[in-house]
Amino acid sequence: MKKFIAEMPSYTYAVKGEKLLKSRGFDCKIVRSEKNCGYSLLINTSELNATKAFNILEKNAVPYERGTDS
Amino acid sequence: MIINFDNSATTFPKPLTVRKAVYRAVETLGGNAGRGGHQLAMRSSSAVYSARETVAEFFGAEPENVIFTLNCTHALNMAIQGVMKNGGHLIISGIEHNSSARPAVTLASEKKIRLSIADVYPDSSKTVESFRRLITKDTKAVVCTIAGNVTGQIMPYREIARLCRDNNICFIADGAQACGVLDINIINDGINILCTAGHKGLYGITGTGLLVTDGKFRISPIIQGGTGTMSESLKQPELLPESLESGTLNTVGAVSVKAGIEFVKSKGVSNIFSHEDRICKRFIREIQKDDRIVVYRHPQAEYVPIVAFNMRNVSPEKLSSYLSEKGYCLRAGFHCSALAHIQLGTKNGCVRFSPSVFSREEDAVRLAEVIRKFSVQIRN
Repeated sequence: MKKFIAEMPSYTYAVKGEKLLKSRGFDCKIVRSEKNCGYSLLINTSELNATKAFNILEKNAVPYERGTDS
Repeated sequence: MIINFDNSATTFPKPLTVRKAVYRAVETLGGNAGRGGHQLAMRSSSAVYSARETVAEFFGAEPENVIFTLNCTHALNMAIQGVMKNGGHLIISGIEHNSSARPAVTLASEKKIRLSIADVYPDSSKTVESFRRLITKDTKAVVCTIAGNVTGQIMPYREIARLCRDNNICFIADGAQACGVLDINIINDGINILCTAGHKGLYGITGTGLLVTDGKFRISPIIQGGTGTMSESLKQPELLPESLESGTLNTVGAVSVKAGIEFVKSKGVSNIFSHEDRICKRFIREIQKDDRIVVYRHPQAEYVPIVAFNMRNVSPEKLSSYLSEKGYCLRAGFHCSALAHIQLGTKNGCVRFSPSVFSREEDAVRLAEVIRKFSVQIRN
């Protein structure tokens, strides 16, 4: 398991993304971003599933930027 | 005793669930929504998002396309000025509220846009035709109320929306008198931008309004500033809802609108319409027992639950003032709608009766008796 970060453009999209992922069984939460007063989604998952999670965000038109994973 | 029949201005009383939600919000939502990551801020942010979801679901939109505004006027100004920023041709209906008419006329008088006003008829097909005739190659937007705020006349908004869609024109609908009594869904109805009040038929508190968009037409912000996002940049964010929500949000108001919509859903929009419509029809029957009463309704047109009327040779303000002394609150005058009164030919305005879901038929009957007594009194 690793922590993946999707930096969101706003709190609104952060919640939308969180709800989408949680409804599909992903372990994720909203955290404050390190930069730009934004909010990020912290996704706790495997490498393979992280790709799936990011695809879900894209398919649902949730804009994000891939952050530095830890 | 105070009986409110001026619910078109703002509904009163508010449902108990709304009052309780407001109290809880004031008590617990002390953070600034979308600003910061501490517990209080996140709690407020979550409450605002939840309200956004409720509004979005109610009107068939996405949560990020729900913009909280101060009132319907604010939303209409944002929509009209935001869509028409780079000029073009705008059409508004001949019964628009001043909240649409004034920004449109101002833009036109400053030569920033070209403005046309479409005539409105009791016959819907004639109204649609009057819009169709005005469309030109540079028509960018049409603003039309779903239901007029003076007589309550329901406009052929779905047909006008279709006309706009076929000509790639942005359709801006004013839902102030319709939302909560008519089932409005922006996708099914073809509305690109719906502007409405939160404090009328949606039973939220005053100081609340909504702009709900399908996102197809860009709305340039008329106010810029802090959005809680991209704070390092001096450029206004492009994404909704933040691009149109500069400044601290009315969290308590948003919570009240959510509670109000949940109340409306629990009652059922069509049930609310039927209840209020029945009261209006009874009121009309009762006041028309006096031959001096003129009711501004046409058999060919349909109406939301509003009754505009006058007593011949009596000023509307005089009648309203008398009714107020007797405990009945009805609004007289021009109802912030110069165009609608020109269309009606009511040079001194009129009196408007507008019930809510809490109104009682027996109160409307008693009010009619008071009006008839007043008529006799001033006749003698």
